[in-house]
Amino acid sequence: MKKFVCAALGAAASVAIAANAANAEVKVGLLLPKSGNYAALGQEIEDGFVMALEDAGMTDDFTLVSEDSEAKPPVGVAKARKLVLQDEVDAMVGIVSSAVLGAVRDFVDGAKVPLVVANAGNDAATGEACSRYIVRVSFSNGQVNRPMGSWMAEQGIKKVYTMAPDYAAGHQMIEAFTESFTAAGGEIVGSEFTPFGKTQDFGPYLTKAKAASPDAIFVFYAGGEAISFVKQYDSFGIKKDIPLFGSGFLTSPLYVAAEGPAAIGVKTSLHYVPTLDTPENKAFVEAFSAKFGRAPSEYAVQGYDSARVLVEAVKAGASDRESLADALPKVSYTGPRGPLTIDPATNNVVQNIYVYETVADGDGLTQKIVGTVGEVRDPVNGCGLQ
Amino acid sequence: MVADVDFWLTQFLNGLQLSMLLFLLSIGLTIIFGLMHFVNLAHGALYMVGAYAGVSAAASLGNFWAALLIAPLAVMLFGIILYVLVIRRMRRAGPMNQVLVTFGLIFVIVDLVRIVWGDIALGMEQPALLSGPVEVFGVLYPAYRLFIIGVGFLVMVALSLVLSRTQIGAMVRAGVENDAMASCLGINVERLFFAVFCVGCALAGLAGAIAAPVFSATPSMATDILIPTLIVVVIGGLGSLRGAIAGSLIVGFIQTFGAVVLPGFASVLVYVLLATILIFKPAGLLPARG
Amino acid sequence: MFHQTPLKTLTVATVIAGLSLYAIFGGYFPREIVVEIALLAILAISLDFVAGYGGMVSLCHGAIYGIGAYTFAGMTAIAGFDAVTATTAALAVTALFGLFVGAVTANISGIFFIMATLAFGQMAYVIVFEWKALGGDDGLSGVSRYDLSAIGLNLNDSLQFALFCLAVVVAAYSVTAFALRSSFGRTLSGIHSNEDRMRALGLSAWRHKATAFSFSSVLAGAAGILAAQHTMFVSPELLVWTVSGEALIVVILGGLGTLAGPIVGAALLVFLKHEVSAFTAHWHLIIGLFLIAAVMAGGRGVYGQIEHFLQRRTGRPADA
Repeated sequence: MKKFVCAALGAAASVAIAANAANAEVKVGLLLPKSGNYAALGQEIEDGFVMALEDAGMTDDFTLVSEDSEAKPPVGVAKARKLVLQDEVDAMVGIVSSAVLGAVRDFVDGAKVPLVVANAGNDAATGEACSRYIVRVSFSNGQVNRPMGSWMAEQGIKKVYTMAPDYAAGHQMIEAFTESFTAAGGEIVGSEFTPFGKTQDFGPYLTKAKAASPDAIFVFYAGGEAISFVKQYDSFGIKKDIPLFGSGFLTSPLYVAAEGPAAIGVKTSLHYVPTLDTPENKAFVEAFSAKFGRAPSEYAVQGYDSARVLVEAVKAGASDRESLADALPKVSYTGPRGPLTIDPATNNVVQNIYVYETVADGDGLTQKIVGTVGEVRDPVNGCGLQ
Repeated sequence: MVADVDFWLTQFLNGLQLSMLLFLLSIGLTIIFGLMHFVNLAHGALYMVGAYAGVSAAASLGNFWAALLIAPLAVMLFGIILYVLVIRRMRRAGPMNQVLVTFGLIFVIVDLVRIVWGDIALGMEQPALLSGPVEVFGVLYPAYRLFIIGVGFLVMVALSLVLSRTQIGAMVRAGVENDAMASCLGINVERLFFAVFCVGCALAGLAGAIAAPVFSATPSMATDILIPTLIVVVIGGLGSLRGAIAGSLIVGFIQTFGAVVLPGFASVLVYVLLATILIFKPAGLLPARG
Repeated sequence: MFHQTPLKTLTVATVIAGLSLYAIFGGYFPREIVVEIALLAILAISLDFVAGYGGMVSLCHGAIYGIGAYTFAGMTAIAGFDAVTATTAALAVTALFGLFVGAVTANISGIFFIMATLAFGQMAYVIVFEWKALGGDDGLSGVSRYDLSAIGLNLNDSLQFALFCLAVVVAAYSVTAFALRSSFGRTLSGIHSNEDRMRALGLSAWRHKATAFSFSSVLAGAAGILAAQHTMFVSPELLVWTVSGEALIVVILGGLGTLAGPIVGAALLVFLKHEVSAFTAHWHLIIGLFLIAAVMAGGRGVYGQIEHFLQRRTGRPADA
């Protein structure tokens, strides 16, 4: 009898070992800023990522190696090289800064390592500089703003004054908006690019904008600049005469509270809003708030979806670099932000863009969705993937 | 746009407001510079601490005016700690060592602020009394910014009176002119320096607390404001109140009008001015020592 | 005054040998670290030349480093020139920039000099940032490394690139040491000691200072060229004033006016940064405390302190 039990146990053990071997862990390198000005975004993305793995019950199937990119290109490249050549990761996830993405792109493509971009929005990364190995699940600068152009024209707005910080992303965002707004019959009466990162005082520019007498102002600002801009827009009294529109980063849930009542009534477009009324999103918001004590922002969702696409790819059988690179663009599901697929022509995400208004909610602020543009897809833009 | 009087009036007020903010910061720095021969790069970090202290005070006490009182005191306290631990010992070290030590202090203070308050920008509400625009010569201008201009003016007048009419003011002016001689005459220069340093820190804290509702409190405040402040001090001239006034007006207006007339290269303008002054009149426009 | 003492030779040899071994046996990330140290060391040597020996403390060397990187990157990636032409152009541009800044600031000293160099550095930063053809802050990619296949080297291999950079450090050190021992270098030290006296002797102080600054800029530019090749990418933040600040920190941590100190300082700072950031995201805090402690302890730097200690022991002057 004893022999039988031993043999049975031995057989069971070897079957278990064989099963584990077939389910080899996927090693993922997280390349995010942990220090410096973008550290908060890096943390949000990582929190969302970790939560998605837990949700799918697949935390054990992934080994994570985390590195600080400091949002600096040389550091990003050095850490990317380490993750790929020394840690031998099967895939990389992350990258907040578009400059880091630009620096890392050639390396990732040459080393044939799949990279899931969790934030950096520069259009070229899924345009002329696209790669079979780079899949973006966040957004592209053009994608978030193009729908606003047509939407605002539909609302009867004819003349718009645009503003943005004077750096690559600022230009890309405004260009996309301008193109679609003028195509829909609108007129841009003035455009201003303010010194990037150094402008705290928007007084001079707001005064200039007012003097141009537009029907509306459309801007892209993020972070501290967004807070300053919205508050000053209110304190200069411009809020009373000219409505403010913009890219969703202007009133991102991550920091809109700091803008206070000035943000009420501002309408912006973004690929995710925490008040989206879908079962997937409700579950996500509840779980995230319970675990981290704050409502999720679009950065958290980007992190979440970065993990989710990996999970889906692994479930479809992928396990090493090449099979992941094949499987990732084929992923398709409905997540917290709505339906999500990857466009094989650019490897950029295809997603809904929501137009939302910031409204008062008791003492705080919340977002009310006033329009949805479904399945926004980027034009090919010089990408040669297909 | 060009011929519109309202537009230029608003920009003028914008320039004035920026100048006042720069003045509050640079007056502390220039007196410390001129009197103690101490290069304090961490002055911008003190401004940042003032902003955060203001944010926290306003959030916990629910009162803007209390925050305006608490922030300068908090920064002054913080400055005293720095003085005792670091600055007092570095007073006689050359400018380069002072640059390095205070550079190190910037790192330390910014990271401390990050640890305590986090990385996300924090906002502060303007007091109800001052929120919303007010009509000035036919133009709608934010009342709060007028308040900033007012505070700047008040401090300017107060310091002017103290420096020219009081004994302490005379001692400070003597110390700036020739500290060795002043101490020979029986002035306790060490204690004077300490007092001046405290006042400088308090002013930086006040500037931070005042600026927080307009801009927001971010860790990058420390370095963002440092260069404009240094430029004001150098252009205006070390150790002189009039130099600080002149410097802040010049830099404030160039930045404001430059941004409107020549965006993109407005920032280069200020640097060109700085370089020109340094080459032709390195002591500044209105230095304390003739 | 500069003398190539046995201590200096020993220190430089030890550090370079140590880093080489670390690169050979360490793996991929150690090679990245070694390159980072090498580039910082070359920049620090160039800064020590003007600051330690010439008394000109510059906060624009980071910008010069960036100008070298961008010129090389622009010439190869955008204009399509070959590596030799691009290198020559980059070194020429930085030499001219250095000559200009050195000449214009020759009559300024102390904190004002530091501010003036800061101003010029920031001007360069804004110009590069705004020059759209250079890519703005999205940067410029597509920079390739030197093709040394003619002498059997493949710089795309990280080990070979790391060792190549270390070789350039040795070259930079040797060239600077040579310059310091020449009559030009002695004159520079003399100007640092007492400028009026040198003028009384009939020397043109400003011409010497400008030339010295130009020479230093060529070295900084060389570091920049290697930096561009290392990342194969350039972005405007190479020119931000905090890069210059970091170079100055390295020189001080190692030992100002010792020439060997900067190499020690570079290794020290980079290792410290990586070790500390491995266990906390708040490594700026630790580095800041370390820097404050180092300066308050005498400001001689690690190597400088060693040299000073030995000098007192043996009574032999290392550097006057």
